[in-house]
Amino acid sequence: MSVRNALLGLLAQRPFYGYELLAALDGIAGGHDGWAINPGQIYATLERLEKSGLIAEQPANGSAPEKTTYTATVAGRQELAEWLSAPVQTNLQRDEFYIKLMLALSLEGTDPYRVIQIQRASLYQELHAVTTHRDSLDLPSGLAQKLLFDKAVMHLEADLRWLEMIETRLDDVKRQPVQQVEMRPRGRPPKSARGAKSPPQTDKP
Amino acid sequence: MSVITTENLTKIYNSGTTAVTALDHVNFQVQPEEFVAVMGPSGCGKSTLLHLVGGLDHPTAGQVRINGNLLTDLDDDSLTELRRRQIGFIFQFYNLIPVLSAVENAALPLMLDGMKPIEAHDRAIEWLSRFDLADRLQNRPDQLSGGQQQRVAIARALVAEPSLILADEPTGNLDTRASDEIAGLLRQVTKEWGRTVVMVTHDPRIAAYADRILFLKDGRIVDDTLLEAKNGSSYEAVTAKLKEIGD
Amino acid sequence: MNFQLTLALRYLNGRKLRALLTTLAIVFGVLVVFGMNTIIPAMMQSFQANVLAASGQVDASISLKTGDVFPVDELARVASVPGVRALTGLLDRTVNLQPNYFDHDSAAPDSVSALSVVGLDPIEVRNVHSYNIVAGRFLEENDTNAAVISQSLADNIGVGLGSDLKLPTAIGEQTLNIIGILPARAMPGNEEIYVTLSQAQGMFGMPEKINTIDANLDSLDNARRLEIQSAIQTALGSEYQIGALSSNSELLTNLQVGQTIFNVLGIMGLLMGGFIIFNTFRTVVAERRRDIGMLRALGASRKSIFYIILIEGLVQGVFGTAIGMAAGYGFSVLVLKLMGPALQTFINVQLGMPVVTLPIILASIGLGVGITLLAGLIPAVSASRVTPLEALRPTVGKLNFRRLAGLGFWAGVTMIALAVAALLTRNAGFIGAGGLLFIIGLILIAPALVSPIAALFGGLASLIFTRQGTAHLAQGNLSRQPARAAVTASATMIGLAILVTAASIITSASIGFERVLRKSLGSDYLLIPPSIGVWGSNVGSNPDFARELRAVAGVAVVSSLRFAPAQVNDLPISLMGIEPGVYGQVSGLTFSSGDESTAYAALKISRSIIVNPVLATSVGAKVGDLVDMLTPNGVKPYKVVAIGGDYLNAKIATGYVSQADIAADFGRTEDVLLQLNLTPTVDRDTAESAIKTVISRYPQYRLISGQGYIDENMQIFDVAFAAMYAVLLFLAVPSLIAMLNTLAIGVIERTREIGMLRAVGATRKQVRVIIVTEAIILAAIGTAFGLLAGLFLGYTTVETLHLAGFPMEYAFPAIGVVVTIAAGLLFGVLAAIIPARQAARLDVVQALHYE
Repeated sequence: MSVRNALLGLLAQRPFYGYELLAALDGIAGGHDGWAINPGQIYATLERLEKSGLIAEQPANGSAPEKTTYTATVAGRQELAEWLSAPVQTNLQRDEFYIKLMLALSLEGTDPYRVIQIQRASLYQELHAVTTHRDSLDLPSGLAQKLLFDKAVMHLEADLRWLEMIETRLDDVKRQPVQQVEMRPRGRPPKSARGAKSPPQTDKP
Repeated sequence: MSVITTENLTKIYNSGTTAVTALDHVNFQVQPEEFVAVMGPSGCGKSTLLHLVGGLDHPTAGQVRINGNLLTDLDDDSLTELRRRQIGFIFQFYNLIPVLSAVENAALPLMLDGMKPIEAHDRAIEWLSRFDLADRLQNRPDQLSGGQQQRVAIARALVAEPSLILADEPTGNLDTRASDEIAGLLRQVTKEWGRTVVMVTHDPRIAAYADRILFLKDGRIVDDTLLEAKNGSSYEAVTAKLKEIGD
Repeated sequence: MNFQLTLALRYLNGRKLRALLTTLAIVFGVLVVFGMNTIIPAMMQSFQANVLAASGQVDASISLKTGDVFPVDELARVASVPGVRALTGLLDRTVNLQPNYFDHDSAAPDSVSALSVVGLDPIEVRNVHSYNIVAGRFLEENDTNAAVISQSLADNIGVGLGSDLKLPTAIGEQTLNIIGILPARAMPGNEEIYVTLSQAQGMFGMPEKINTIDANLDSLDNARRLEIQSAIQTALGSEYQIGALSSNSELLTNLQVGQTIFNVLGIMGLLMGGFIIFNTFRTVVAERRRDIGMLRALGASRKSIFYIILIEGLVQGVFGTAIGMAAGYGFSVLVLKLMGPALQTFINVQLGMPVVTLPIILASIGLGVGITLLAGLIPAVSASRVTPLEALRPTVGKLNFRRLAGLGFWAGVTMIALAVAALLTRNAGFIGAGGLLFIIGLILIAPALVSPIAALFGGLASLIFTRQGTAHLAQGNLSRQPARAAVTASATMIGLAILVTAASIITSASIGFERVLRKSLGSDYLLIPPSIGVWGSNVGSNPDFARELRAVAGVAVVSSLRFAPAQVNDLPISLMGIEPGVYGQVSGLTFSSGDESTAYAALKISRSIIVNPVLATSVGAKVGDLVDMLTPNGVKPYKVVAIGGDYLNAKIATGYVSQADIAADFGRTEDVLLQLNLTPTVDRDTAESAIKTVISRYPQYRLISGQGYIDENMQIFDVAFAAMYAVLLFLAVPSLIAMLNTLAIGVIERTREIGMLRAVGATRKQVRVIIVTEAIILAAIGTAFGLLAGLFLGYTTVETLHLAGFPMEYAFPAIGVVVTIAAGLLFGVLAAIIPARQAARLDVVQALHYE
């Protein structure tokens, strides 16, 4: 997730100092059950934002002079608006299981069904865990988490259905020449395809 | 003792010249308080399995034991009695009697067992209240939503205090929200009220509520998965997943 | 049980209209059976009350089984039996009066149309009866032309103590002086006029004769009384009976014929009801397969399922029967009220209230509830066989229909072939059985024929509704469910077959009777008594009257009929005395065996008899046989010389003997009906007025011209004809209900399909047209089959009756066929109205979600 945009979004609401931002971000992302965001990352991102002129330090006033307070600049707000209006890109093409399965199909002595079975069992276990956990949450205090869990449930469901589909078509796939499949290019599509306005991808936390 | 034990359970349907093997030497056991989902592609024999376990249909070969009772040994009347006292059924289309109220529908198994109406109704009301239907007691099925109707059906399945509940696509006719509600209720049935539930479904989302999934394919059990992760807590699995999708 | 009842009631409540219609079918049948069986006994009771009231309260009332008179000497034989304390002989005759006899006013209804004249021994009678005179005095031994009457009769006819009262008698009209008044009559039955025994014997031309002995016994112990009664029986012989009088047995026969006909109709109605219930429950079970399967899955045993369905039937049966009985009682009261005046004129019975006896209540309940249960039985069994799997897979269960239908088809064809073969045997029994086989055969082949016939009528319908393009849909619906369509069509078929059969019989009978009527009443003039066919209650005339008539200028021939009640082989019959030489000139019998001239000639030989077909069939007599005739003088052998009958006695077992025989063996010389022809040249008006002068002394007769009488009768026949059709249409109503039921169920079952039709753009009107077309096609099939079955049945029935000796000849019932076709199609449209509205009103979205 884009910590950069999240911070920008918070600072567009009101001025925050560093630690406050960490707490607010936790609130949105579901606390420690969600992302584990480390404070260092926050401060590094704030620094980069300030350099780009998207946020500005606000003079300290009164009670806590030792804390640095930030607020979003006009450019920052503009950037935020652009982000909000652009869709979030997904990257579905990169899939480890897919590679594993394709290899299992071509490797002697490996049962692709077994590969599917293991993956399915694991996915179901995950789904079970997520579902159980989600249902143990209280509404409305857990609403934020609940929505994220719902997303997890649906993704897992989609993965399971995909597995189901692969399993029913496996015999057809096996009959196809495997080389073709191995030669297929993989990885992210070229950057140009995402459109010029999209924000640069931030690094993994 | 296992609630369900099958030995080489086999069912072959003869339709004219072709014989279709719906179940092929199926062996499995279900322990008390387990919540088992049966999955598989359509035509894999999952409904047939449920029918045989529920004593609704007779196997071509093999045996089913319910709480130690060998179903193949029982005549129709004894089988009926066993169904009445030890098994509760939940169907995809609820199958409530349209002319009876929620309470009367829920009390049906007790009435069939010859209980006094007042007592039977009291017990039915108790179950319906647990399922948030206390204000819907006198409504006819057509005045209830799908989810409510299915909750009445679950109350009906539980009212005679059977040890085993068999559900055939219990959410097949419901939207996502109501499906989650019903699946959660079935889980509660095992965890809170100590019943054993076997549920046929094709919906992964619903199957994930179970403790264990039996995968059927071409009449055979191809996989038997326990959903509580054997190593590592589920909590870690959850957070890991969230991080992954959070990329 | 409790639970099954609740469920049954709820289901019935859930489908009110259907429950109502099904129950209605039972109501119908029970109404007819219960109504008729309370009306007829009411008539009999009223009739018997006449007789019993005459005898008063006595220990034993002794009479001849035939109700005929017997010599006074018999008194001594009874008196000699130990235990008989007191006895008296009576001569008791009913005197039918012509309309307006007392009031001479044709506008006002007659308050008195018949009287009982009781001749008694003024001394002896007081040992047995008591007479509580309120004015004047009681009779004394040597009173002549003196009478005692009740206050109510006196008020009714406007006479009082000392007034004169005129009465028609065998020796001409007599005048009686009223010397005593009894209290007003409280019991039902005819008013009585008490005269001395010798006076009565003189008035009726029966010297030294009585017809009743009233006796009191000396014990109150029941066993002892029975002992004395059997001793009396032994002393008198088997031709006597002790207890209630059964004289005028021909009236009873008449009533019983009516009762039987209506019972047959009622039971047919009930069977139709049963058929409808069967049909309804079959569909109910089909409709509820899933519910039933679920109950089985939940642990309901086969037995509980069986009882749920059966109790549902039982509830309807009980309700239907109860309502039917109540309605039947109302119907009965209504009919008795309406028929009262007419019956009083025709058969001189004052009607009381309907007679409800325990047996008829039990029989009605048994029939109503029993048939419902029976009809529910097969569906209940099939319901109990529904497997719990149906709850999960509700589509199983239609298997093997094709094979079954095939089997039924060939069985049906065989039955029809047998029925036709039976017709060729010309044996009454075979033909009758063949008729039944034919109907069953038609029902069996119906499913196989539904599709082609539906295609035929569907083609016709699509010509009519070309623009809607819906006819083939309706036709397709029928072809898809041939079994159900066949069941419904069969209900219509049975209903209409009854109609056509009856029409055939009525048409044929009408033509046959007209021919016989012309023959048997072919004289120029008739002198008829007030009641035709109930001879015993008419007061005739002694031979002087015929002599006086013969003396009238211009009268060529006078022929008379005399009557005596008799028994042949324990069967009560009417015996008519004719003059063999003369009878054939003015009238004639229609012979089915033997010919006219030889038969009349043979009758001149002593103890010969011509039997009418009813009698011949009842006792199995053939020409040349000897039959045992019970006469007041014991059993006498009579030789059957021919089989033949006339119109007036067509329904009643009747024998014709010579007047010489009836005088010798029965002591009857009283003419009850006279026919006369004029010489061709005479002036009719002059002759008629001369005849009228003679008749004025015998007011019991009415002069009517032969043609006039035939017209009058044909008119009555036409009215009866119309009434019969009305009753039959009434009977066809259940088939309407059956069709309505099936169509309604068809709509329910196809809810989703109709929703789909509406969704893809069918208008409400088009949906309506589909349902109506379906109904019309169904009705057309039923009507076609009904016509076929009815014509066949009509033909076989007429043939059977003809062979049994009824004077009828098969005639094609053209009007009946037209009425039937109209009724059939009308029913089709009527039956479709409700379901069609229902279908057109379906909410599209809901229909599509219908599960």
